[in-house]
Amino acid sequence: MSRQQLRVKDIGRKTDQLVSIDTSRLPKLPYPYEDWEDPPYPEIPEVKRANKNISLDGILNVPVPEPETEAEKEELVAKFLEGLRKLLTSRNNWTFLKPLMLSLDNCVRCNTCSDACPMFEMSGRVEVYRPLFRSEVLRRIIKKHLTPGGRLTAKFTGADIDLNWDTIARLAQLAYRCTLCRRCAQTCPMGVDNGLIAREIRKLFSQELGIVAPELHVEGTVKQLETGSSTGISPTALMDLFEFMEEDLHDRTGLNIKMPFDKPNADILLIHNAGEFLSWPENIEAFALIFEIAGLNWTLSSEMVGYDSVNYGLFYEDIQLARVTLKHAEVAKKLGVKKVVVAECGHAHKAIMAIGDRVWLDESNIPRESCMVTLEDLIMNEKIMIDPERNNFPVTMHDPCNITRSMGIIEPQRRVIKKICPQFREMTPHGVHNYCCGGGSGFAIMQSNNFPNWRFTVPGRKKFAQILNAFTREELDPSRHKYVCAPCSNCKGQIRDLLNYYDAWDRTHIQYGGLVELIVNAMTDVREGFIEWDEFH
Amino acid sequence: MPTFTHGDVSIEVDEDGFMEDPELWNDEIAKALATTEGVDELTEEHWKLVHYLRDYYLKFGIAPMIRKLCKETGFPLKKVYELFPSGPAKGACKVAGLSKPTGCV
Repeated sequence: MSRQQLRVKDIGRKTDQLVSIDTSRLPKLPYPYEDWEDPPYPEIPEVKRANKNISLDGILNVPVPEPETEAEKEELVAKFLEGLRKLLTSRNNWTFLKPLMLSLDNCVRCNTCSDACPMFEMSGRVEVYRPLFRSEVLRRIIKKHLTPGGRLTAKFTGADIDLNWDTIARLAQLAYRCTLCRRCAQTCPMGVDNGLIAREIRKLFSQELGIVAPELHVEGTVKQLETGSSTGISPTALMDLFEFMEEDLHDRTGLNIKMPFDKPNADILLIHNAGEFLSWPENIEAFALIFEIAGLNWTLSSEMVGYDSVNYGLFYEDIQLARVTLKHAEVAKKLGVKKVVVAECGHAHKAIMAIGDRVWLDESNIPRESCMVTLEDLIMNEKIMIDPERNNFPVTMHDPCNITRSMGIIEPQRRVIKKICPQFREMTPHGVHNYCCGGGSGFAIMQSNNFPNWRFTVPGRKKFAQILNAFTREELDPSRHKYVCAPCSNCKGQIRDLLNYYDAWDRTHIQYGGLVELIVNAMTDVREGFIEWDEFH
Repeated sequence: MPTFTHGDVSIEVDEDGFMEDPELWNDEIAKALATTEGVDELTEEHWKLVHYLRDYYLKFGIAPMIRKLCKETGFPLKKVYELFPSGPAKGACKVAGLSKPTGCV
C-alpha cells in the first residue's frame, strides 16, 4: 500500500503487513557517509515469528500473540476495551489520568508534532510513525466504543475505526515504535504529549493483557526485584565487581581509592545504573575518584535494588514502577543519608527525582539531586583542580531526553564541559530541543530479531547524523581523537551500537563515554591518560 | 521455544540462541554452539576463554565485565573478537552456556 493512501482506519485492515521499511529510501547521511547503503533488515525465521503478530511493519520487539481462533481474538479485544475503560478512571489511573486526558482531549490535528518526530522523519515519513497516528487510533476507539451512542454516530464524529484484533495488535506494536522522547510534546502548541499516550498504551497492554517487551519486564524489573539488579548482579557479585574496579582504578591512576559501601548517615547516597558496572566500569571509577578527591562524605549501597538505579517501570507500567521506586526510597531512608545523587542514567533521573516524588512520601521524602548539579559545584567552585589542556580534542555532547527535556537540567553539565573541554561544541539542535539517541524507552536494550536494525536506521539515524555534523571534515579523519559525551547509560549503549553498526570506529575514530571520564582525564591530581582511546571503544 | 540441534546435541535456546537452561551445558554443547558463531573448531585459547566465563558464571550468576575478562585471561579485546567474531557477550558467553546479558549493558 502506498504511504499516502494510508489512513487511521486502515489500522484494522485485513492484510499481512500494513507498512514496510525500504532501507534504500531512508534519508541520506552526511559526510563521510554520503554513499552509505544499509543492508536490508534480516529476515525473522519462521520459528521465531510463529504465533506472533508482526502485522504493523514486520519489525519484532514487543511479542504480540496471534491467537488461532476468532473467539480468542474477541476475548483479547474485550480485555483491551475493559483495560481502556480502567485507564480512563481516576480510581484505576490516579497516577497519569490528568495529563492523559489533557493529551487525549486537546489535539487540534495541526501536525506540528510530526515534523518534530525523528521516527517519522528518518523513516522517510512512514504514515503510521506519525505521533498523531497512534494517538488518533486510541481516540477513535474511545469515541466509538466507550462513549454512549458512539457506534451510531462514529461515521459523523470522525471516529471511523474497525475494532478487531489486528487493530489492537498493531496498536501494541505502535506503542513500541516511539522512544518516549517527548520532542512532540515540547513542540505542541496545545501541550499534547503523544509520548505519554504511547506510554499509557504500553501500560494498558502490560497490566491488563500481559503483553510487554521481556527486556523491560521479565528480564528487567522482575529480575531487578528478585536478584537485586536488572543485570542479574547479586550483592555477592557486586562485591567482586567493586574489588576489581578498585584494582583497575589503581592500575590506571596510581591512586588507592576505597569505594565506600553502606556508610550510615552519609551526606550522599550515590546510585548508579548497574549496567555501568559491567560495561563501563571506568564511569563508576571516575565518580569514586572525583568524590574522594573532593572529600565528599558519600556512600554506595550494597542492598538489593539499592545499587541499581534502573526503573524500567517508567517505560511500561505503574505497578513495577512503584515497587522499584519504593525500594529505592527504603534503601535511602534506612541508610539515613541526607540526599540521593543520581549518577549518569537518564531515566533514573526522572523515576527517582520527579515521578518518585509522588511515592517517596513523608519521612521517605529524602532530597534527590542530579549528579550534573553535584559535579557542577565541584568543578565551578574548584573543589577539584582541572587542566583543560588535557582535554584539548574535539568534544560534543548528547543530551539524554529524560535529563534535559523531561527534567529541565540543561546548564549544569554545560558549565562543566565548557570549563574542562576547550574544543567543546554543541550539536544542532541541543538542550530541550535535542534529538533522542534512538535507544530511549528501553529500545537500547532490545537486541533481538530485526529490531536493532530498525533502531539503528530509523530513530538512531538522526542522532548519528547529528554526531557526524558536530565535527568538521578534518576532525572526522580517523587519525584524530574526538569524543561524544553521553551522560546516560542507556544512551551510551545506543551510541556504542550505532558507532558499531555504521562502522564508525574504523571510518572516523569517534570515541564515546560519559562526563565524569572527561573530568578525571583533566584532573591535575591524576596522572594523564585516563581515557583509553584504542583498547575499549 | 526454539530447539537447537547439531549432531547428537539437541537443546532449547532463546530468541538469540542462548541456552534456556545453562545448567545442562557440557563440552559437546559448547562445540555445537560454537558452530553457530562461525567457530568450527575450539582451540586451546577458545577453551581458556570459555572456561573462564563458565567458572565466573557458576560463582556469580553473571558474565564478568569485559575489562576483567581481558585482564584475567591475558587476551586483549581484539583477540577476544578474533576468537569469537561476534564478541565476548554475544559469542563467547553463548558458547560457554551463559544466559543472555540483561539490563543496560
